[in-house]
Amino acid sequence: MKAKPGYRQVKRRTGALRIIHWTNVIGMIAAIITGLYIADPYYQAFIADSAVDKYVMAWNRWIHFMFAIIFDVTSIVVVYLTFFSRVERPWTKVIPNKKNFIEFFEVLLNLLTLNTRKKFNSEHNDSFNIAYFFLFHILMIWMLLTGLQMYVHGLGSGLSSIGNWWPWMLHLVTDWTLPVSSWMAGSTATGSNIMDVRIAHHTTMWLLITWVVFHIYYQFWRTIFWKEGDISIIVGGSKYVKIEDGENK
Amino acid sequence: MSMENEESVKKLFTAESAKVDTNKGDAYYEELYASCQERIEDLKKLAPLNNRVDFTESIEDQGLGRRDFLQWASATTAMLMLPASFTPLVAEAAVLMNRVPVIWVELQDCAGNSEALLRSDGPKIDEIILDIISLEFHETLQAASGHQAEKQMDEAMEHFKGKYLLFVEGAVPLGMNGQFGTIGAKGETFVEHLHRAAEGAAAVVAVGSCATFGGIPAAAPNPTDAVGVMDVVKGKPLINIPACPANPSNMVGVILHYVLTGTIPELDSLLRPKFAFGYRIHDNCERRAHFDAGEYVEEWGDEGAKNNFCLYKVGCKGPMTFNNCSIIRYNEGVNWPIGVGRGCIGCSEPDFWDKYAYERPMANANIKAPTGGVEKTVDEFGLGLLTVASIGIGIHAAASAIAGKREDGGEY
Repeated sequence: MKAKPGYRQVKRRTGALRIIHWTNVIGMIAAIITGLYIADPYYQAFIADSAVDKYVMAWNRWIHFMFAIIFDVTSIVVVYLTFFSRVERPWTKVIPNKKNFIEFFEVLLNLLTLNTRKKFNSEHNDSFNIAYFFLFHILMIWMLLTGLQMYVHGLGSGLSSIGNWWPWMLHLVTDWTLPVSSWMAGSTATGSNIMDVRIAHHTTMWLLITWVVFHIYYQFWRTIFWKEGDISIIVGGSKYVKIEDGENK
Repeated sequence: MSMENEESVKKLFTAESAKVDTNKGDAYYEELYASCQERIEDLKKLAPLNNRVDFTESIEDQGLGRRDFLQWASATTAMLMLPASFTPLVAEAAVLMNRVPVIWVELQDCAGNSEALLRSDGPKIDEIILDIISLEFHETLQAASGHQAEKQMDEAMEHFKGKYLLFVEGAVPLGMNGQFGTIGAKGETFVEHLHRAAEGAAAVVAVGSCATFGGIPAAAPNPTDAVGVMDVVKGKPLINIPACPANPSNMVGVILHYVLTGTIPELDSLLRPKFAFGYRIHDNCERRAHFDAGEYVEEWGDEGAKNNFCLYKVGCKGPMTFNNCSIIRYNEGVNWPIGVGRGCIGCSEPDFWDKYAYERPMANANIKAPTGGVEKTVDEFGLGLLTVASIGIGIHAAASAIAGKREDGGEY
């Protein structure tokens, strides 16, 4: 879309990134709905139906795992783009150097003073937002690894439909989450158990929901009250910035 | 990547949870078969360690025939994840079980594991085999007591030094210098007792959840600082057979494996034999189809309960519990918890009392007493607060003393 007179267009998100974002949104909603059912089946199947006609838990698990696998793949793509994107390379904004520190706290002050103090350039991604997304990705990776740790025990025979390398690799990559989860959940016993992984997975879901609440609040607030127009970045891909006096068109 | 490298990389980067290799290839099993055969020939040359009744006679005395025994042998071969061709070897090894000396010590527990192998409706083959192993010392079963009992244990340990299997039942309390549990006429603490017994053992087998992970004695707030045997005994081959009580079939399986191959079975990261703890209860549960169908018992005694629906919503922890009771069941396959219509409480997992046994789905569980015990928290918080206040008073008093009294006319 061309910019209105008096505004200029700043390209921010490629089509691929926008598709990934909305895939993740749908995936998260689906994963939470099905995940809560898996943790504690909160609705009943029709008891009069015969068992062959209902497959409720299995469908819930199917949806949950399917979106988990989609998340795995989008995560790999996002990690790649973080470092090698041709539009923005967000990793440069989380390096703990002086410039990023100053920007981070300027954005934080901007938020706390409700936009009365604004000493940073909001045209491009700022350190605060990138750091906030960095936190999201850490939580997400933890979620994926604990999830796959629980998943691999369904492949207990060491076999899978795509070969023996898959459960082998999952054990290799996720087994360390067992002792780490036990340490996090607190344990008075000798040894660590898979229930701790599950508790960690469940708790992290609530942290992610909290993360989403602030993310949505922040983006809407900036768009509506501070007239930054940030929501259009993730819909149309561009931000429209008012041309200041004396700026070259 | 060569196999050695692959193994070492795996060891380096993983905590190695259960991964079961059910088929290791013909070459492996042929070699194993030959070595087992050789070992059994060697064992046959040894005299039995005790003069108890012959195995075949004692089976017949209990009204069991040779057919029953062979059925048992093939079931046990399958349980040990060996090919069917090993059945004759397993049968032979069972007869030779009285060549292996066993010392059994009992620490902080309820004797439930001893009970499990004593109190069956009529002795089954597993229990008979545990009867004929050369049980040189068992604190709960023996007639001797006091100094006599200690003398007997010393003699057994001396005589079979480096050869006996040490079975340990019960957790090890470490609090108060181990004084929470003492044993024998000399008042030896459980820790010392265990160290002494383990020193000359060929291998240590921790039986039941208390001995393996601390079990109920180690549940929050763990007043006695109870730990499992693997936290205390180092530098010995150690096998954990958790569950509350441990299944006699698994105990026999471990001893049989030792008799048959001279080695301990393949273990997972928690030192549990993979043949028994490689799969979850859930993976082979008879009610698994109801789980997938979303058919759950909603409350005790409802229509679902009458129809053997899945017990997940009334707190079954099968999906997070590694054990083989859904396959071999208890009391020679008579029944098991899910079969009688109550959920699994995860009794073979570390921390099971705090994290599994609350009989509600995990999402509805109040996992611990708030902050690990009401009085304990109040006491510690109060002491902390008093300390902070005392430091504050001290600083104020010291500062006041240095500054001296305020000049005349000042107000406090």
